[in-house]
Amino acid sequence: MAHQSNSIKSGSANVSRWVIPGLIILFCAIAFNLTTQFDRVPEILKRGIQPSDFPQLILLLLIGLACLLPFENTQHNRPAVPPSVFISLALMVVFVLLTHLDFFIALGCFSGMLSFSWGERRLGALLLVTLFFPTFVFFLFDLVFEVRFPRGLLTNLWYG
Amino acid sequence: MLLLLIVLATLGGILVGALPGLNATNGVALLLPFTITMEPIAAIAVLTTIYCAATFAGAITAILINTPGTSASATTCLDGYPLAQRGEAGRALGMAAVSSTIGGIISVLCLMAAAPLLAGAAYKFAPPEYFALTVFGLSMLASIGEESSIKSIMSGAFGVLLATVGIDLLTTVERFTFGMNELTEGIGFVPVMIGVFGIAELLTQAGQLGIVRERITLRAIQLPSKADYQKTWKAILRSSGIGTFIGILPAEGATIASMIGYNEAKRWSKTPEEFGKGSIEGIAGSEAANNSATGGAMVPTLALGIPGSPTAAVILAGLMVHGLRPGPTMFTEQSTFVFAIFWSMLLVNVLFFFVGLYGARIFARATLIPLTILWPMVFLFSMVGAYALDQSMIDVWIALIFGVIGYLMKRYGFSVVSLAIGLILGGMLEKRLGQSMVMLDEQWWLIATRPLSLFFLVLTVLALAGPYLLRKIKSIKS
Repeated sequence: MAHQSNSIKSGSANVSRWVIPGLIILFCAIAFNLTTQFDRVPEILKRGIQPSDFPQLILLLLIGLACLLPFENTQHNRPAVPPSVFISLALMVVFVLLTHLDFFIALGCFSGMLSFSWGERRLGALLLVTLFFPTFVFFLFDLVFEVRFPRGLLTNLWYG
Repeated sequence: MLLLLIVLATLGGILVGALPGLNATNGVALLLPFTITMEPIAAIAVLTTIYCAATFAGAITAILINTPGTSASATTCLDGYPLAQRGEAGRALGMAAVSSTIGGIISVLCLMAAAPLLAGAAYKFAPPEYFALTVFGLSMLASIGEESSIKSIMSGAFGVLLATVGIDLLTTVERFTFGMNELTEGIGFVPVMIGVFGIAELLTQAGQLGIVRERITLRAIQLPSKADYQKTWKAILRSSGIGTFIGILPAEGATIASMIGYNEAKRWSKTPEEFGKGSIEGIAGSEAANNSATGGAMVPTLALGIPGSPTAAVILAGLMVHGLRPGPTMFTEQSTFVFAIFWSMLLVNVLFFFVGLYGARIFARATLIPLTILWPMVFLFSMVGAYALDQSMIDVWIALIFGVIGYLMKRYGFSVVSLAIGLILGGMLEKRLGQSMVMLDEQWWLIATRPLSLFFLVLTVLALAGPYLLRKIKSIKS
């Protein structure tokens, strides 16, 4: 059991030590490739530097620093990501999908589901975050700050 | 009307500081969209008020539930909570209110004196000096990360890279827009701030649901006694000076100030053995330092456009959203705003003394709000706030994406504060580099031949190499 736990820990340390710098370098390489496709401007118009020069400089710096990361003496064994984080992330995906129906339906549903998944079982509290608070925020922003929200099933009822 | 707004913002700031998981930085980021329809003066006054009030309010949770409301109050826990456990929570909160107020007022007076002087000096800066200064500001990020200097610098560089998204204003060439019209104006500061400070914190809180906090009942808050004043006045003044100085340094905020203030209070104390067991001097040293850093942090923010702390970076974004240009010209062309900031900061330091004294019992109850209610509400606020600024759904997606990025960055030890500061300074850095290249006939190395630029570049090298050199010297000595 202890052996298994140690191997999980060393796996987590390896993610920190090698995988993260690897992913950063990959991201920077892709971004660097994109910068080579930026339009170039004639010498007389370039005002000091070409549009691609500065991002390339930063990307090279990032690659250089990422190469140093594995040799840093700060590798930690991080605890596993708790399931509640994955559930919250999954609910965010649901939120994104529901925004196609209505922004506030999505917000209300997300708030209620998040609260429920975090352990809230009191009906009053669930109604507060699902119904009452989104309604309050909608009218606050609509009437006081004059913000017009995207049209959807619910907002159409108000906007006509 | 402005006075009423400042009073409301003080109450809001204290509430934000007292709520678990929220602090001055994410509080200002979340409330920034609320200021969009306000007059710029009112908006900036509200943001700076929230900054000061939330920094103070961190002490309430630090003392009552042993959880710092803001990271700047972490050292307040060390003595505040033991005092509260002995039934002296009121005395601890009274000392926190008094030392915070004194520290805050001293730093605002320093801000009033130093910012115009610094702005005056900055008039002599040409693009190469500004470029070197911005590089120095970014190099200070090396010391603000929790895990490693390299990761902090990388986060800052990532922020600078994000600032290059959109149309390059000098050449009108599109960069990293992927053909999306919404990205031609670049990635907005506000959705990114809401993402990395609000949504990322929600995900962090999702991983801490099992933590049960023990809350100590507060009977009544009490002003420090004469003996307390005699014991702490030196620590308060010393920490106020330390906090103001640390605040002035780019990127260094209240957290570092409170640590140094606390350590110095312990070093100079006649009873250092009481520290960590309920020393009233410890609370005074920590709270005076973290509140005085707020005024100090606004000095480079206003005079140079270089944020003096993480929250100042968000305020800087707020200034830009409202069409203000922080820097030396602000003191001549937009002086009304500067004075609005000065006076609102001075006023809030007086206000939170009274609110802290008489309202701490009420605000302490905020710590009882369950996470299951608080964070869904924060999410709703975040999403509506991200949308409201430009009334664009792309900002909502940006906030969500940066929420996830911010969570991953925090998990693997990369500083989200550095990312935010990098994003804000990135545009300025590239602009000044371009101008310097034109001015110096594309001979970039000439930047180092100008005395002031060289001075800032030397400071940059020291800021980057300093921590390593100190560690080396310590290891040789030991």
